[in-house]
Amino acid sequence: MTEPASDILSPNGCPEIRAVVFACRWCALVGADRAGKERMDLPASFRVIPVECAAGVEPDLVLRAFAEGLDGVAVMGCHLGGCRHNEANRSARLRLMLLQDLLEIIGLDRRRLLLSWGTAHEGYQFAGLMREFTAILTGLPPVDSRLLGPC
Amino acid sequence: MIQGQGNIMHNAVRDKVRLMLAGREVVGVLGLCGEKKGVVPHVFTTAEDTARLVLEPKWPLAKTGWIIARAFPEGEALGMVCRGCDVRAVEELVKAGQIRPGALKTIGVSCSAAQAEVCLCESPSVPGEEPVAGIDPMSMPAVRSLCLEPDRLDRWREHFSRCIKCYGCRNSCPICVCPACKLEDDAYVTTGTLPPDPLTFHLIRAMHLADRCVGCGACQESCPSGLPLLPLHLAVRNALRQREVSLNGAGSLSLMTAPGAEAGTLWEDTLGGRSNGRRRA
Repeated sequence: MTEPASDILSPNGCPEIRAVVFACRWCALVGADRAGKERMDLPASFRVIPVECAAGVEPDLVLRAFAEGLDGVAVMGCHLGGCRHNEANRSARLRLMLLQDLLEIIGLDRRRLLLSWGTAHEGYQFAGLMREFTAILTGLPPVDSRLLGPC
Repeated sequence: MIQGQGNIMHNAVRDKVRLMLAGREVVGVLGLCGEKKGVVPHVFTTAEDTARLVLEPKWPLAKTGWIIARAFPEGEALGMVCRGCDVRAVEELVKAGQIRPGALKTIGVSCSAAQAEVCLCESPSVPGEEPVAGIDPMSMPAVRSLCLEPDRLDRWREHFSRCIKCYGCRNSCPICVCPACKLEDDAYVTTGTLPPDPLTFHLIRAMHLADRCVGCGACQESCPSGLPLLPLHLAVRNALRQREVSLNGAGSLSLMTAPGAEAGTLWEDTLGGRSNGRRRA
């Protein structure tokens, strides 16, 4: 299989941008699956972790992912009003938006945490979001191996 | 003049403490006791003892009160000389089921405007007393330089690199009373490395406190490395206020259980996609 055209690779062949996507299995995971099945043009910068509900992705976990040195984290859930778990995604949205605020407070770009509620259900939507997200992360100033760790 | 006012307040508080002890409502009253070289927390049990009660300097006592009173049987209570932040902390502890309602009886002492400026305090007065004007922390240079200036990441990096992971911030915090703590979990904070990764140490703490923080500044006070932790928590509170989340509200226990806002159907993402009621094409 040929590499997609939009791949951003460093000289050693590894993706320059590393991100992780927590995808709700009822919505964004379906989109991710379709994007793959239909062989859409996808960046190689991310890995998808399926979750039962986006509300299960607590802010601590996102911070842990950033502490691993990832450039970006995406949390994708169902549209607001369409959660399978008693509207859990509304409170998840509040928590994760506060986490974005917190990243901004200490000087990290809030766009490093991508939130999507129901806008990644179709394959082309997911692929579009990931292309846009990778482009944003590529444009941000590079960080050390650990985002905030000692220099 | 100010000295005189201080004396009047001091006497009034001492009278309240004596009244509480005489009425046998409480087993003792926790307050500050003047010593030759400063002050120490002390449980006053007799009227004569209260001669040594002092009000200054500000020393948040809520955590100490909780340690003493959490094991009290039904009907037993401890009095506590409280600042505004202590009163809020006791309310939070009751809400979280960490202490029986009424187990800590508060005797409120409002802080002065000067003290409020030192503490970056938004609400220095206690309920039922003459209101004292608080300050907006986001207008203070100490907070602005850390939370709004473009070079703030470097400042935080420098500050966080001085952390010696003594857990003083957590141990002195009146809200941090969970029996199990993520900061002791190897999955988040690695044993044996210094300084800890600020993302999984300080930011996890900031997220856990969020709307429950009472702004007492005990964390910053107890930090041996002088980390500016209070501005971090105050900035989080400010962010929540802008999102119209009630702070220290009667209903919500914490963000983990807070109901989300905005009813109705909404498709949105933080890259700008947004539509109401109808799926985005």
